[in-house]
Amino acid sequence: MHGNRPYKLILKYLIIHWKCETAEVSKGALLEGQLVISIEALNSKHQANTLHCVTTIASAGSIYGGLVLKKFLKEIQSILHGFSAKLNWTSEEASYSQDTSGVTPFQMIFEVDEKPKTLMTDCLIIKNFLHKIIIVLPKIRFNFSVKVNGIFSMEIFEAENEPTLNLSNGIALVVNYQHYVSAPKFGTTELLCSRIHPVLGHPVVLFIPDDVAGMGLLGELILTPAAALCPCPKVFSNQLNRISSISIFLYGPLGLPLILPSQEQPTAAIFKDTSYFIDWKKYHLCVVPNLDLNLDGDLVLPDVSYQVESSEGDQSQNMDPQGQTLLLFLFVDFHSRFPVQQMELWGVQTLLTTHLSAIFMESHSAVQDSIQITVGQVLEHHHQAVKAHQKLQASLSVAVNSIMSIMTGSTSSSFRKICLQTLQATDTQEFRTKLHKSFHETTQHRFLHHCSCEVKQQLLPERDDAEQSTEDAHENSSLELLAGTSGQVGNKRLKGSSLHQGVEETRAFRSAGALSPSEAARRRAEATVSPLTPSRSRTGPGSGLEDALWLQEVSNLSEWLSPGPRP
Amino acid sequence: MAFAPSGPEASFFEVLDQHRASLLATLRRGGGEPAGGGTRLASSSEVLASIENIIQDVITSLARNEAPAFTIDNRSSWENIKFEDSVGLHMISHCTTRKIKSDSPKSVKNFALILKILSTIYKLVQSNTYATKRDIYYTDSQLFGNQTVVDNIINDISCMLKVPRRSLHILSTSKGLIAGNLRYIEEDGTKVNCTCATAVPVSSNIQGIRNLITDAKFLLIVEKDATFQRLLDDNFCNKMSPCIMVTPTSVFYHLKLKGKGVPDLNTRLLVKKLWDTFHIPVFSLVDADPHGIEIMCIYKYGSMAMSFEAHNLTVPAIRWLGLLPSDIKRLNIPKSTLIPMTKRDQMKLDSILKRPYVTCQPFWRKEMEIMGDSKMKAEIQALTFLSSDYLSRVYLPNKLKFGGWI
Repeated sequence: MHGNRPYKLILKYLIIHWKCETAEVSKGALLEGQLVISIEALNSKHQANTLHCVTTIASAGSIYGGLVLKKFLKEIQSILHGFSAKLNWTSEEASYSQDTSGVTPFQMIFEVDEKPKTLMTDCLIIKNFLHKIIIVLPKIRFNFSVKVNGIFSMEIFEAENEPTLNLSNGIALVVNYQHYVSAPKFGTTELLCSRIHPVLGHPVVLFIPDDVAGMGLLGELILTPAAALCPCPKVFSNQLNRISSISIFLYGPLGLPLILPSQEQPTAAIFKDTSYFIDWKKYHLCVVPNLDLNLDGDLVLPDVSYQVESSEGDQSQNMDPQGQTLLLFLFVDFHSRFPVQQMELWGVQTLLTTHLSAIFMESHSAVQDSIQITVGQVLEHHHQAVKAHQKLQASLSVAVNSIMSIMTGSTSSSFRKICLQTLQATDTQEFRTKLHKSFHETTQHRFLHHCSCEVKQQLLPERDDAEQSTEDAHENSSLELLAGTSGQVGNKRLKGSSLHQGVEETRAFRSAGALSPSEAARRRAEATVSPLTPSRSRTGPGSGLEDALWLQEVSNLSEWLSPGPRP
Repeated sequence: MAFAPSGPEASFFEVLDQHRASLLATLRRGGGEPAGGGTRLASSSEVLASIENIIQDVITSLARNEAPAFTIDNRSSWENIKFEDSVGLHMISHCTTRKIKSDSPKSVKNFALILKILSTIYKLVQSNTYATKRDIYYTDSQLFGNQTVVDNIINDISCMLKVPRRSLHILSTSKGLIAGNLRYIEEDGTKVNCTCATAVPVSSNIQGIRNLITDAKFLLIVEKDATFQRLLDDNFCNKMSPCIMVTPTSVFYHLKLKGKGVPDLNTRLLVKKLWDTFHIPVFSLVDADPHGIEIMCIYKYGSMAMSFEAHNLTVPAIRWLGLLPSDIKRLNIPKSTLIPMTKRDQMKLDSILKRPYVTCQPFWRKEMEIMGDSKMKAEIQALTFLSSDYLSRVYLPNKLKFGGWI
C-alpha cells in the first residue's frame, strides 16, 4: 500500500470512530470538528530523487472523546495492511485521564518515502478527497499543509457557513454550485442563483450477492440518489439550455466518499456502460464517458464523469460548449435496528469499496428505477425552465419588434426623437439593441426579486479586517481570486500551488462571502435548507420554505406553457 | 287573381304608430338621446397619437429600469358596470383596473400581444386601410393561438384608448343578414337595396353607411337564421311591408353552437343606427328559452363585455314580441313540442332574473317566472305544429296589429 490511500483510510477510520462515539449524544446531528493534516517532505538521505515525508494527522479540538489510543492504533495498523510506513502515536494521555469532558486531542504521525511527482499527485488526490468530505460533512474543517524542502503551502477545507441540504442520515449536502462547476463564462449579472436544488430519490434496498455476503451484517444497505442541475436552471441565460456533462458522486455510510480501486479512472463495468443507471436516450442525450478529469482544480471531482454530445435528431440544442452539468449523488447508507459498531461500519465501507459493482448489479432494476425517476424529475424541471425561458424570449421579441415597427413607421419626428433620447440611442439599430436589453434586464430583475434561492448579489460583501488584509496580500502577490463573492468555495487555492513554487501565504476563505461574524452567524441560521427526505417528514426552523418556494417558482414557470393567455 | 298590393292596409299599423309616438315622446321627455359616453369616434391622428403615447410610456418605464405594464379596465366585472334605463349596461367612470405586466410569467405574453396588435392598428390607421378581427388573427395565428385572444385584446385596446373599434380601423366580421324596406349607400359608394328577394349581408362598415332610406313601420330582430329564412320564404317583408327584419346569424354561424344567435357587433351597430336615425319600433323574435331572452337583452341593454361601448350599441326601446312563454299556453301549443329546461338553462334564467335591468321590466320578469315554473322551453318552430305558416300568417301579424309586445 502506498500513495494517497493510507491517508484516506486513516481519515475515514477516524471519522467513523468519531461518529460512533458521538452517536449516543447527538444522533442525526452533523459531525463538527477540525483535523489538521500536514506533510513535511525533505530530500531523502538514502535514495536519490526521493522525498522523505512525515505526515501528521492531528485534531485541532476536542473531538475524540473516548478514544482508546492503543486500541485505535492497533486497529489502524490492521487496516493499513501492507503499509510499510512507520506509524507513531502521541497524545496527552495524562490529560485524557483527567479530562472530565471525556475528550482529548491526539496526534498521529507516519513516515513514508515517495517520489516528488507521486507526492504531488497524492496531495491533489488527498485535497480532492477532503473536498469531497466537506461537501457532505460541512461542519468538519481540514487544515492541509505541505512543506517540501522548506517551501510551505496550506489550504483550508471547510463549508460550515454554506447553504446545505440536510439529508436524513446525519449528513448534509452543500448546495453552493461553485463546488461543482466553474462560474459560467458570461456576465455576472446573468447568473443570479448560487445554489443547486437537489431532488432526492426514493431510497432502495440493495441486496448483497451471495458470493459477496458473509459479513454477517445486521442491517440493510440503502441507496438514496440525489440529482440536481448545476448551475441553477431557474435563472438562466441562453447558454444554459443544454446539458453538457454528467457527474456522479459516490458516498458510503456516514457520508464518506467511496474509494473505488483505481480512483483516477472508473473501472467498474457499471460505470463504463453509460446506460446502466439511466436510459439517456429517453431524454435525447448522447452520453460518453469522460476520462479527462483534471485533479488540479477548485472543483470537487466526481467519481464518474460523462460528456453529453448532441444527439442526431435534436437540432434545437444549443451548441455552446458551456451548458449545464447534471449532478448525481449516490448515497449508500447502512441501516440497522441495532446500534452499529465501528467495525461493522468499517466493514460496510470495505464491502462497498470492493464490491460496489456487484452490489448494484444485484439490485439493478430497483437502482435504475430510483435513479431514473430522480433524474427524470430534474430534467423535467430543466425542460420546463427552458421552455418557459423560450416563451419569455419569444414574448420579449414580439414586444421589441412591435415597438420598433411603430417607432420606425411613425411620421412624427418628435415622437421618434423622444424614443431615441429616452433610451440614449443614436440610431434605430442602437435603439433596438437597448430596447431588447432593457426588457431583458427588467424581466431578469423580477426573477431576482422573487428567486427563492440564495441570490448572488452584485454588491461587494462585508469584509472584516482579517479578510481585508489577506485580500490586500493577495493583490500584492498577484494571486488569482476565485470568481464571485458570496458562497465561496470552502477551499482556497494558491495560484499554481505546485510544491515547487515559493509562495508563502495563507488565506482563509470565509464562506458566504466573507461576512462579519454576526452576519455569518445569521447566515448560518438562515442558510440551512430543510431536509428533503423523500417522505418530506422532517422540517427544521424556516425549513422547507426555500425549497417549497423554489418548487413554486418552477410551478409558476410552467404557467408560461399554459395555452392562450386570458386577457 | 287580382294583384294584391304589398303590405297590409294602413289601419293595420295603428297600434304600431301609437307605439312609435309613445317612444318619441319618451325620448323628448328624456332630453333626447343620451350623450355618448365611454368611447367616442376619434380621428386617425388622435388614434396614432394615443398609440405613440403608449409606446413612449413603455420606453420611459424601461429607461427607469422598471418593467412596463398596461393598465386595463376590468370590462367583465359587474362591479364596474351600472344600469341606466335609457342606456342599458355601461361602465362606470372610475372602474377597477388590472395590470398587464411585462415581467410576470402570467401576463408577459399578453403584454407582447397587446403591443403587436397596437402596431397592427397603427399601420392600418396610418395607411387608412381596414381589417377584420379575423384578418388580424391570421396575420400570425400561431402567435395568437385563437381568435378569442385577438378579440379580447382588441376590446381591451378599444377600452384603453377610449375609442370605438371602428376608429381603430378594425371591422367586425359581419355575420348578419338584413331584408326589407331599406336602402343605403356604403362608404365605398356601393348602393345597397334590402328589398330584394334574398337577404343582404349586414355591412362591415356601419359607420361609413350614408343615405339611409326607409319607410319601415317596424324593425324585427329575428334570433335564428332558420326563422329568418322561413319568413323570407313566406314573403313576410312584402306581406308586412313596409318593414325591416334582421338576423344576427347567417346559416354558417347558426350551425355553430357557440355564437348561435349571439348578435355580432355590426348587426348591433346597424340596429342602433336605424333606431337613432328613424326611431322606428324595434321588436325581437326569439325562442322562449333563457338563451333567446339573453340575446334580446344584449340588443336592448348591452353586454358586460361591450359595456364600454354601450352608448353606441344599445337600444333600450326594443320590445319583446315573441315567442312569449305565456303564448305557449294561450295558443295551446302541444306539450310534445316543448323541451324540458336543462340545469344550464335554469342557471341562466336565474342569472338573468338577477340582472339590474329586469327590475324595471315587470312583464318580462313575469314571463320568465312562467318559464321557470313550467320548467319548459319552446323554440319558435313550435308554432309550425299549429300550421306550417302560422308564424308569418297568424302569429306575427296579430301580434303586430294588436300590440302583443312587452
